[in-house]
Amino acid sequence: MGNCLKTPTADDISLLHEGRAGSETGDSSENLGPPPPYQEEAPIYHPTPNTARPVTQLTEDEQIRIAQRLGLIQHLPSGVYDGSKKGRECVICMNDFVIGDPIRLLPCCHIYHKDCIDDWLMRSFTCPSCMEPVDAALLTTYQTN
Amino acid sequence: MASMQKRLQKELLALQKDPPPGVRVDEASVTKSLSTWQVDMDGAPGTLFEGEKFQLLFKFGPRYPFDSPQVVFTGPNIPVHPHVYSNGHICLSILTEDWSPALSVQSVCLSIISMLSSCKEKKRPPDNNFYVRTCSKNPKKTKWWYHDDSV
Repeated sequence: MGNCLKTPTADDISLLHEGRAGSETGDSSENLGPPPPYQEEAPIYHPTPNTARPVTQLTEDEQIRIAQRLGLIQHLPSGVYDGSKKGRECVICMNDFVIGDPIRLLPCCHIYHKDCIDDWLMRSFTCPSCMEPVDAALLTTYQTN
Repeated sequence: MASMQKRLQKELLALQKDPPPGVRVDEASVTKSLSTWQVDMDGAPGTLFEGEKFQLLFKFGPRYPFDSPQVVFTGPNIPVHPHVYSNGHICLSILTEDWSPALSVQSVCLSIISMLSSCKEKKRPPDNNFYVRTCSKNPKKTKWWYHDDSV
């Protein structure tokens, strides 16, 4: 399986710069002082709802689980709110849906703003409204279709 | 951060306008950033806590509602209940592992009222003394064991 987690690409670039500076300018590179500290922050992931860890500190199991989640989220139907169900609000941000808002539909038929629910699903793969595990429901829909 | 404040603003308005019975937000306690609220709560009529008054302290982190709020009893009267420690910490699963962003200050208040109301005997948790001596100030740092759903 490939590693679909975002890894900071600046890593490679900084290595390239350092190598070139050394070979082209020789001793004068010392005048530049030490390379700047590595500043790009690793993205934070939540292997469970109450833990937050930079991607570099995830165990292999957690990396796999998060990669699976990223993949599964992509398989959940999404679209834009067309106003066919009136007066609905996204229970995560508590704002009413506005026509044209990007939304996501979970297998249990609860809808949320896409950004709101994707953020939550990366922490816990359950529907916030009915607590149904989304992956189990996803498998059921595949089996019945 | 902005979305957290927008949601908290909405929750505050809703709770001021239409609070559950016996629940009042102490408006003076709400900080400018909306990150701390004090909620006054009356013991429900017909229960062991009838006539008692309690205060709850809610603290919201910048990742609310994705992260649960920190909720503790505060003030002079901490309810004597098998799930409430004498330092105000509450053993309630929706405050940690069963939290969902569809929950709100109002639903947390209702859960706590219901937890108090179903109490049959006023007593502290069996490990109260040890827990209060050793716990973190933040109840969310406690690894809770939820082993009793009856009260």
